[in-house]
Amino acid sequence: MSEKAKRSYTLKVWRQRGPKDKGRFAQYQVSGISPDASFLEMLDVLNEELIKRGEPVIAFDSDCREGICGMCSCVINGQPHGPDNGSATCELHMRRFEDGSTITVEPFRARAFPPVKDLVVDRSAFDRIIASGGYVSINAGNAPDGNALAIGHDTSEKAMDAAACIGCGACVAACPNAAAMLFVSAKVSHLALLPQGQPERDARALAMSRTMDEAGFGNCSNEYECEAACPKEIKVSHIALLNREFLRASLK
Amino acid sequence: MGSGFFSSSIGRKIVVALAGLLLCLFLVVHLAGNLLIFAGAPTFNHYAAALEHNPLLPAAEIGLLALFLLHILFSLKLRWENHRSRPVGYAESASKGGRTPGSRTMLVSALLLLAFLAVHIKTFRFGHPGDSLYRMVMTWFSNPYYSAFYVLSMAALALHLSHGVQSGFQTLGLNHPRYTPIIRALGVAFAVALCTAFAAIPLWALLAGGAR
Repeated sequence: MSEKAKRSYTLKVWRQRGPKDKGRFAQYQVSGISPDASFLEMLDVLNEELIKRGEPVIAFDSDCREGICGMCSCVINGQPHGPDNGSATCELHMRRFEDGSTITVEPFRARAFPPVKDLVVDRSAFDRIIASGGYVSINAGNAPDGNALAIGHDTSEKAMDAAACIGCGACVAACPNAAAMLFVSAKVSHLALLPQGQPERDARALAMSRTMDEAGFGNCSNEYECEAACPKEIKVSHIALLNREFLRASLK
Repeated sequence: MGSGFFSSSIGRKIVVALAGLLLCLFLVVHLAGNLLIFAGAPTFNHYAAALEHNPLLPAAEIGLLALFLLHILFSLKLRWENHRSRPVGYAESASKGGRTPGSRTMLVSALLLLAFLAVHIKTFRFGHPGDSLYRMVMTWFSNPYYSAFYVLSMAALALHLSHGVQSGFQTLGLNHPRYTPIIRALGVAFAVALCTAFAAIPLWALLAGGAR
């Protein structure tokens, strides 16, 4: 690594011992942070320091650390996944934060995402939504012959854009109403656009939106903060498609 | 269409969107009638009398009341659920670039419009114009407080529609990569043009004294 000047920060981190704890902010000083470090690496450095001091480490979610798994979260200075568009917290670099600045780190907040510990929240409501219809039960077989594909390239690209959703929940965290429409719409669109998804198309739209409502997410009011916060840049046009799918299924 | 439609968030939103967009059409018709006031007292009073004696008016009024009730009650229900969907709020919250002044203030503009609606209906639907509605309008608008409240309400309406029009299209599923940017721009233009035209009447009455 280069010999770039190391940076120091003041961190205001949400600490919560468990689901029942009320929670509070705690302030920490971190120093010796490379501008090339990721945000999660900075938290690792802080946690090592906390271990040395015999204090409880800050619990936060992470897994692949390359922006494809959807495990990392956090609202950083009021923005889910931090200030960058189209990237997850693990892809956020410390060079985006001025040396000596104060950074506020909070968990994703929504009734449907109950707190677990510190920055970790339970996002299994998304799993329940997927389990209620985000699949195809037919045997789709092997990869089909390219010339025998039943859909055009543009449609398959649209489906692929929707399928890029990693289910991180930033859309819910960013939404003023804590609505999950961008997530649900991405999952519904992805399958509604493909031939494999057709047999269960109507049942899927109805079941997934019902599970979404039951989970306690808010109602979409088309503020489009979700689109701006999505690390995979899923478009709100998918929400319109979900609305159409729902209407189509309801009218039958 | 099962009963699940009206208990689902998307179904309710579709009702709000449809009622809202139909109310926009009503506003256009309402404005067209209002603008006849610039043609002078005889024309305006003639129009008012024709409207008053139209046998379809009671049916139209009931339809209009239904639209308003659907739009307002379903919105409030959705809004109440949204209020409960995030019990612990953020200490810090910053937009990443989706919200607009109109979208941020939907509840405030809605509540102001509700107050306006009550005053407006009391004055002009249940008021007693005598032999000239024209004179009644001019008398009310010569009151600077009444006119100021009217103009402020029209500003709230413009703000409300600047978000509401495009939001209605999106909720009805009408989104297209080419046309959505046009719908968003036209929605704002519609909101500003409509409300400017509505507000022109009290301003004209107040500043120019109308066509006395």
